[in-house]
Amino acid sequence: MDLEQRPSRLAAAWPWISTLARLGLAAVFLIAGGLKVTDLAASARAVNAYDLMSYDTAKVIGAVQPFLEIALGLLLLIGIATRLSAAIAAVLLVIFIAGIVSAWARGLQIDCGCFSKGGELTGGRTAQYGLDILRDVGFLALAGILLWKPKSKFSVDGLLMGDR
Amino acid sequence: MSKGNRGRDRAAAQRIVEQQKAAERRRQVTIWTSVGVVAVLLIAGLVGWGVLANQDKKTDASKVNTPSVAVDDGTAFAVGTGPVTVDIYEDFMCPICHSFEQQTGPTIAQLVTDKKVTVRYHPVSILDRASNGTEYSTRSAGAAAAAAVDGKFLEYHNVLFENQPEENSDGLTNEKLIELGQGVGLGDTFATAVNEGTYKSWATKTTETFASRGFNGTPTIVVNGKQVEGPNNTLPTTEIFTQAVTAAAG
Repeated sequence: MDLEQRPSRLAAAWPWISTLARLGLAAVFLIAGGLKVTDLAASARAVNAYDLMSYDTAKVIGAVQPFLEIALGLLLLIGIATRLSAAIAAVLLVIFIAGIVSAWARGLQIDCGCFSKGGELTGGRTAQYGLDILRDVGFLALAGILLWKPKSKFSVDGLLMGDR
Repeated sequence: MSKGNRGRDRAAAQRIVEQQKAAERRRQVTIWTSVGVVAVLLIAGLVGWGVLANQDKKTDASKVNTPSVAVDDGTAFAVGTGPVTVDIYEDFMCPICHSFEQQTGPTIAQLVTDKKVTVRYHPVSILDRASNGTEYSTRSAGAAAAAAVDGKFLEYHNVLFENQPEENSDGLTNEKLIELGQGVGLGDTFATAVNEGTYKSWATKTTETFASRGFNGTPTIVVNGKQVEGPNNTLPTTEIFTQAVTAAAG
């Protein structure tokens, strides 16, 4: 519901920008979750590699996380309660970034397990924390766009609100 | 004039009512979709929990066939009788483990012969994803356990590394695993154990123990409880390894 008299070109473009951000973020979570969900034991080891919690806790986190990621990806894909979904995505990303920073700070040599089952990083391969963080910050920016301008095209929200 | 005014007023009032209705509708949609999102995420989390609980049942102590000859809480196979304990965690699919075996294996064999070390081999399966879904790491670790039960662990361990399949291939078939076993003198009970996957859940269990001890990669080499690594978490050279053993021997 744009009540402005003459919506600027940018204002008209926002729903499209938000749509791209929404679908991009959905893809990120669907892929990240999908890669992990097939081997929960490996996912648990990836979480455990951060050495932030007991193995039993890491097991639960490692099992729950891929399912959460897939569910969140699907919710973003259909665009329902977009602002809330984006906020949850942002919270998750902040946690992931904090985890990587903490591993980096402690000098751990691990695979972040972001898009893989991670964990084991052996001889020769070095951790790429800087790149991992940069990438997650990029995803955080997508979530930020949606938090700011949650209205997007082809969304359940739009359908229910009766927007065009 | 008054007539026109009244008309305009009515139209304005109607617009306000409609706007309020629309706002109310948006509020309702926001509330219910938010509730929906939270519910979906909660259910997804519970599904993850449920799947985990179900998988844990398979590695429940009563369900796992722990080989009678296994030491260290049933997770390893000991070779040698020396005073220094060397724990080696290996995945038969892991190329760096193969490098380690080629590089330091002869030295370890000599230390065993000289009765300086007891080597506890822990087969683990962290690279199941690298065998196109055939779970070669788990199958080979299980086969190694079956070989241990028949007293041929080290022989079979060595032959598995000599015939290591490439990462991201299908790995060796069960037939090939059995054939390699026959080559080192393993018979029908071994073949049955490989075909039935008797020790596969045991392999999963040892991998859990490995992770719960805070180890992430293979090979992990531990000498008298202390992890031995090269500079920057690399594979230790034979020299570094030997020094660690000498230091541990006192």
